[in-house]
Amino acid sequence: MTADKEKRRVISREAARKRRQVESEVFRDLSRLLPLQPSVRSNLDKPSVIRLTLSYIRMHALLKVNFATEAETSQSVKYGDVLEGGEEVCDGGQDGGEKETEEATEEASGETQLHLSTLEGFLMVLSSEGDMVYLSDNVSKYMGLTQTELMGHNIFDFTHPSDHEEIRFNLQRMSEGVWCGATRTFVLRIKSTLTQRGRSTNLKSATWKVLHCQGRVRVCSAPSAGSCLLLTCQPLPLSHTLLSSHTFTSQHSMDMRFTHCDQRVTLLLGYSPVELLGRSIYDLCHTLDTDCLTKNHLNLCFKSQSVSGQYRMLVRGGGYVWVESHCAVIPSVRASKSRFRSYQPLCILCVTYILSGVEEPSLLLSLDQTINRYLS
Amino acid sequence: MKSIIQHTGGLSLLFPIPTTTAGGSTCAAALRSLQRAHRLQSVGMSAGDSEGTAGRPEEEEGPRQAGPSLPAVELPRKRKGDVEERSDDHVQQSLDFEMEDDLSRSEGEDQQVKMKCFREPHRQIEKRRRDKMNNLIDELSAMIPACQPLTRRLDKLTVLRKAVHHLKGLKVGSSGAFTDTNHKPSILHQDDLRHLLLSAADGFLLVVSCDRAKILFLSESVSKILNFSQLELTGQSLFDFIHPKDINKVKEQLSSAELHPRQRLIDATTGSQVQADSPVRASHLSTGARRAFFCRMKHSRLAGNHEDKRPMPSSFKKKDSYRYCTLHCTGYMRSWPSSQMDPEGEAEKETSYLSCLVMVCRLHPHVSHHPPKDITVKPTEFVTRCAIDGKFTFVDQQATTVVGYLPQEVLGTSCYEYFHQDDLQHLAETHRQVLRSKEKIETQRYKFKTKHGSYVSLQSQWFSFTNPWTKEVEFIVSSNRVISRGPGHTKDEEEAIGSKALQEDTKQIPIIPGLSSGLGTMIYAGSIGTQIANELIDTYRMNSSPSSGASSPFGSAQEKCPLVSPQTSRSASSREDTAGSSSLSQSDSRTAAGTSSGTSESTGEPSQLDLDNMVVPGLSSFSNDEAAMAVILSLLETDISMGQSGQFEDLHWPF
Repeated sequence: MTADKEKRRVISREAARKRRQVESEVFRDLSRLLPLQPSVRSNLDKPSVIRLTLSYIRMHALLKVNFATEAETSQSVKYGDVLEGGEEVCDGGQDGGEKETEEATEEASGETQLHLSTLEGFLMVLSSEGDMVYLSDNVSKYMGLTQTELMGHNIFDFTHPSDHEEIRFNLQRMSEGVWCGATRTFVLRIKSTLTQRGRSTNLKSATWKVLHCQGRVRVCSAPSAGSCLLLTCQPLPLSHTLLSSHTFTSQHSMDMRFTHCDQRVTLLLGYSPVELLGRSIYDLCHTLDTDCLTKNHLNLCFKSQSVSGQYRMLVRGGGYVWVESHCAVIPSVRASKSRFRSYQPLCILCVTYILSGVEEPSLLLSLDQTINRYLS
Repeated sequence: MKSIIQHTGGLSLLFPIPTTTAGGSTCAAALRSLQRAHRLQSVGMSAGDSEGTAGRPEEEEGPRQAGPSLPAVELPRKRKGDVEERSDDHVQQSLDFEMEDDLSRSEGEDQQVKMKCFREPHRQIEKRRRDKMNNLIDELSAMIPACQPLTRRLDKLTVLRKAVHHLKGLKVGSSGAFTDTNHKPSILHQDDLRHLLLSAADGFLLVVSCDRAKILFLSESVSKILNFSQLELTGQSLFDFIHPKDINKVKEQLSSAELHPRQRLIDATTGSQVQADSPVRASHLSTGARRAFFCRMKHSRLAGNHEDKRPMPSSFKKKDSYRYCTLHCTGYMRSWPSSQMDPEGEAEKETSYLSCLVMVCRLHPHVSHHPPKDITVKPTEFVTRCAIDGKFTFVDQQATTVVGYLPQEVLGTSCYEYFHQDDLQHLAETHRQVLRSKEKIETQRYKFKTKHGSYVSLQSQWFSFTNPWTKEVEFIVSSNRVISRGPGHTKDEEEAIGSKALQEDTKQIPIIPGLSSGLGTMIYAGSIGTQIANELIDTYRMNSSPSSGASSPFGSAQEKCPLVSPQTSRSASSREDTAGSSSLSQSDSRTAAGTSSGTSESTGEPSQLDLDNMVVPGLSSFSNDEAAMAVILSLLETDISMGQSGQFEDLHWPF
């Protein structure tokens, strides 16, 4: 009885080992087929092999569909155009591919790399479920984690729980056909294993990095590909921003009232820095842009960094200019400027870019403008 | 919570859980051996997933008393894995049972439990890995066409083999994209990557020489954004394609000398403006100073291709035959060997190194902020902003066409001065309502006095702007649209109504109860708004202590708060309760997320830390503010119910 059992065990053990061997062989084949660097490949575990294979196949399906149904895509994009106003039609025959010489490939590669590095961000392709189907390899520069570590994983595992709803919202609208080609802009917090010194730590001690994601929905008709979200994810570098004469900086209390503003604002908007103190940015904007600023404000409160997007700021004497603000919450008011609300532990720093000239300068839109006009 | 799970998990080992030993597929069996091989890796790997599953008690049923590597246990374990899915429910039940039991357990047994606990996370990891692998295989089989028509679930090995075949097929199809050995292998062909990049960001790469603003290089995607071909632009001066008013801006960005006094770096973590290093001109250009600016560039409407029909979103003005697109340009100054970057390769030969600005120009996506559902202005619509007392502080230029007034005529006056008396009651009520609500509130159709004395029918959507930080209502935004009469109405009728309204207006019959009719319409009309605003301000004042106390905690459970609570104190205390529980859940979720605020502390990111500690708890709950709103609401409610008729009598008008 026991001997028999023992024998069976031996047999099954042998069978199991064979099975394992065969399986490992298949895995090895599979990983060899993936376009990976040998050093990366040798360190892959089996789930990762499958994960990357999946991403690879998905990406392929996606690209194949993109090329094949070019006309269809541009159709849908055009529809999005009507809705959203600003879509770009993906290109037609210029990526033919057949007549491409080695040289052209080389050039394209150089250009793409230059583009990516100048963009200061990475490319991310998200499935409608939030799987990161593709990430450009410079992702490691921003998240610390490498392309192969991340690809195929779900973005929800790497983003701040409080941001999940927003991400889901951005993904969800994607499945509604109406939004084909629709643009997306949102700010999220993602795990970064980079320390301040630029070294990579482990995932457990990851910190949150604020990324500004912009992109658009790509709908693919093939069922295997599904729709996806193409995003460029960029950190919001308020630091090291070179300011030009068409830019001004301002500091605000957390409720967006000015606590400090640099002098260039006078030249650009007409206000003197002193008269802005204590006034809310909401009083200075065009009412139609209130939503845009509220979104920005909420992002700041939650995520500490934000991009406002384009909005209109009222010019002192009348009219308005289009501006965009890049903002960050900073811990405390600088000592030299802390005359007002020095108890305030936090403040918002804004760099505001002027995007246009003064539009409709004779138009008085707000009460302040009329007062300013007739008093001065 | 976690510890309970661990305890019960350990306890489950002590119980002989019924195991089903039905026959299994080869798939799971093979899987198991594989998983063991990867046990170590998964510990490191699954960190990302751990949050999702950590809270879930996961059990591998069946006794596993023996050491993990003993072959004796191999067989039963293999078999059980197959029916795992089916028996999961069962396990769950028994687990629930154990959970209750756990509480009544004695100390001695606890000791035993602790020992078992050691192995528990390991089991969870095992289970998780198995699930993960199964999911992956399922996904894979769904993606491979060869696996598709089969309804039967394929075993792992088959799926993998088919995957290998599929990949081989893909490789053949993709014309040598991955065979090219010159480059390091990358997941995507560079061309595909470029394509994706382009689809994601409506941008192009632009290299401009600093001295003469000559366009040295453009990516071909420029044709889609500016409708100029790559060749048309290359070699041209950038200034020829820039909005006249932006030329100085761009010049400034390209020049080095100009920039020195103005260059300031802002450190986001401290907020201090760091003075740039010593201004060495040469190094400044070559070391890759960052540039970020917006400018408008010409968009060609010529060239007669399909793009002609499409409106460019960011064009501000039509000038000549060009429209302008706003582009966000970010990039770096670079020194480049001229021959390399200059496609023509003649002009810059004399200088071996060329200073240029390499930037990515992205079409500005401003439209995304205004989804169609949001307030947009149509010709028969105008937007106003009122202070909480109804005084106009912002009036859209469109108002002039609708109601005849210039913005400056209306600004500073109360909206009530323009309402018809018949509508005052309703509008005052809506006004009161909108101050208490976060929702957009649609008014009924009402009559608004135009400059010419007649009335125009408007319907408005009002919403109060609540400052996200202070949670106080700052102003009311009203989008007003003209209501066209139904087809039954004729113009005569319209005029008749207008003239009738005019007559009524002269009579000046007050309708609001409790108001003496002796006062002029204008005066008291404006006062209605003031009164309503005062109600709100009073409630803020009365609630100032609870609301300031509530600035740190918050509640996702605002539903629990009584919507209309008669006593402020009661609702305040109940808010504290919910706040307490929610901050608990908050900390829970934070630990579960596997991200430690402690680490951010240690890495010295004060801004992040501060935010986590005070901003996020304070603000992530706009729900709490709802609770505060409920209090305000209740106060207002009592105010209204008590003094609907009497409140106005107590007021002392300044007239």
